[in-house]
Amino acid sequence: MLKLGVFELTDCGGCALNILFLYDKLFDLLEFYEIKEFHMASSFKEHDHLDVAIVTGTVSSQRDLEVLKHARNYSNYLIALGTCATHGSVQGAVEGKIRDKLEKVYGTRANPMKALDSKPVIEYIAVDFALPGCPYDKMELYQLLIDLAKGIEPVKKDYPVCIECKLNEYECVLVKKGVPCLGPITLGGCNAVCIRSGLGCIGCRGPLPKEANPTSEFEILRELGYDEEYIRKKFKTFARGELRW
Amino acid sequence: MVILEVGEFTRVEGNGKAEIVIENGEVKEVRVKIVEGPRFFELLTLGRYYWDVPDLEARICAICYLAHSFASVLGIEKAFGVEVPEEIQLLRELGLIGEVLESHALHLYLLVAPDLFGYPDAIRMMSKHGKLVKEGLTLKSFGNYIREIVGGREIHGINIKPGGFGRFPTVEELEKIERNCDELLRMAKKAVNIFATQDVFGAVPRYHIATDEYLYGEKLIASDGERFDYLEHIEEKALPYSFAKQSKYKGEIFMVGALSRLMLKADKLTPIAKELFEQHKEKLSQCYVSLNNLAQAIELVYAVERAKEIVSTLLDKGIKGENVPIEPKEGEGIGYVEAPRGVLIHHYKIDEKGNITYSNIITPTALNHALMELSLYEETKKNYGTLDENSLVHKLEETVRAFDPCISCSVHLVRL
Ligand code: SF4
Ligand code: SF4
Repeated sequence: MLKLGVFELTDCGGCALNILFLYDKLFDLLEFYEIKEFHMASSFKEHDHLDVAIVTGTVSSQRDLEVLKHARNYSNYLIALGTCATHGSVQGAVEGKIRDKLEKVYGTRANPMKALDSKPVIEYIAVDFALPGCPYDKMELYQLLIDLAKGIEPVKKDYPVCIECKLNEYECVLVKKGVPCLGPITLGGCNAVCIRSGLGCIGCRGPLPKEANPTSEFEILRELGYDEEYIRKKFKTFARGELRW
Repeated sequence: MVILEVGEFTRVEGNGKAEIVIENGEVKEVRVKIVEGPRFFELLTLGRYYWDVPDLEARICAICYLAHSFASVLGIEKAFGVEVPEEIQLLRELGLIGEVLESHALHLYLLVAPDLFGYPDAIRMMSKHGKLVKEGLTLKSFGNYIREIVGGREIHGINIKPGGFGRFPTVEELEKIERNCDELLRMAKKAVNIFATQDVFGAVPRYHIATDEYLYGEKLIASDGERFDYLEHIEEKALPYSFAKQSKYKGEIFMVGALSRLMLKADKLTPIAKELFEQHKEKLSQCYVSLNNLAQAIELVYAVERAKEIVSTLLDKGIKGENVPIEPKEGEGIGYVEAPRGVLIHHYKIDEKGNITYSNIITPTALNHALMELSLYEETKKNYGTLDENSLVHKLEETVRAFDPCISCSVHLVRL
């Protein structure tokens, strides 16, 4: 049996919850893994060495940083799970310095609880696997954990959401309806679920590494009449402005 | 002086803990510390185009993403003076019902039931109580199915839009709900029997607050008969030891959530749920926080019955699938929705271009924050000295859990 720990930093809870949404598949995983820590689901906790640690969320406080270091130090493999952990997701995109933000929201610049500007896990430590998605596709996590248990090298996705639209024969919302869709520059793996609803991809799986062409996406959106500020905000919603043009 | 530490809380959503100060054997002070980092959602939405906002707000919380998108959409529609037809209203309500099923089933079967049966979690409960856990998972996955067809995805779907939907559910998808309701109703009724046996604990709130309709509304209502907008009577204050703010109603501690809904709106329940409410009314009327669990079980029954009603109305009338067109204009609007854990408020001001200029969000866990501290205070007072420290801490965790707190939600509450 492999020992598994799930650690939640600051986030919406979705990436941890999504593990429970595996339902029957979760019981399949339990044939290989023993859960040593998963505070959303269990009061059981054993501070032992772990084979696999899953970390969700952004580092947004000193407490988060400590939990993250603990998870890293105690595990062989560390998976940064979800767009918060891999790219910062929405809270990572909030602009400004922490003290200013505290003042605007809580009415004081004091920081007794040691909040930090939200950053993805990967900016603090080296991870073995980074699986984006807000939330990630649960079958992708299932496959990754099974592969690890069986000693198989996991396969990484490397194509944009657009490919999944083509495979599903969805009509292109960007070209046909002029809807701002980030599908061309967003990492696929969600089966183009939002385009299925006739809506544009908002980029929740983060930018497609390497091949993405944000400049041409930017031009397309400009031609459709969207202003620069709007496009800029849209681009960096899930990825802390990683996309440059 | 002794400081008793509880936490970090387990089997709750998000990261929080409590500190209880005891001096000369007397409980002096209780602080519920929400240690989840702040997420500043209101800052995130400032300056954003209204159309994108419900999708961002969904990310506040995964367990009740749809309630957040919906409250956001309601606030935006009010600001623009848009009203949607019955079909869209019913479908949105159906989405909320899915969320109630998913969230209550998660809470009752996976998070609370282990306390009742003496296990650290539901997975370790499987060997002896496998059938029960499986039933819980069935209710939960069914709730998620509804969230998927109405909301677009199990978590963080972007289908709930100002003016309607990206895509409307199909007849086949709705028929599937209709087919499953009877079996689900049987399971939900069983949950009521189980949770009716739970002991009472926690504090008793001075007031209950809810939205005026069962799952959303135009205004808030309170147990003193008041019908109001939140700014009139709810006051928030920031705390030095927590990322969540605390609220009072007319200066007093109050409660929101399943128990409050039943106490204020039992007349709106569906037939079997109403019957069950009457049957347990005497117990529920004591209003201890822990009774929230029983109230949630009754709401599982309500949700299944109401889902069936909605679906058959929609199937009889046929789905038109027409959205209401929206013209952005300057305005202000508040959306009141019942998230599974209680009243959720989204308040926006929007400029003539359709960009957000002001936003304020108050979540149920923040509204319940003061009552949570009071509950821990009373439980400690009752048990300190009689229970050993481990059992006491366990009891206090159970008390926090009864609120079904959603900590991620609670950490960024502002007025800008
Ligand atoms: S990546 Fe998205 S779903 Fe996952 S925890 Fe962050 S906000 Fe939630
Ligand atoms: S289509 Fe885009 S926004 Fe929707 S789930 Fe996929 S990556 Fe996320």
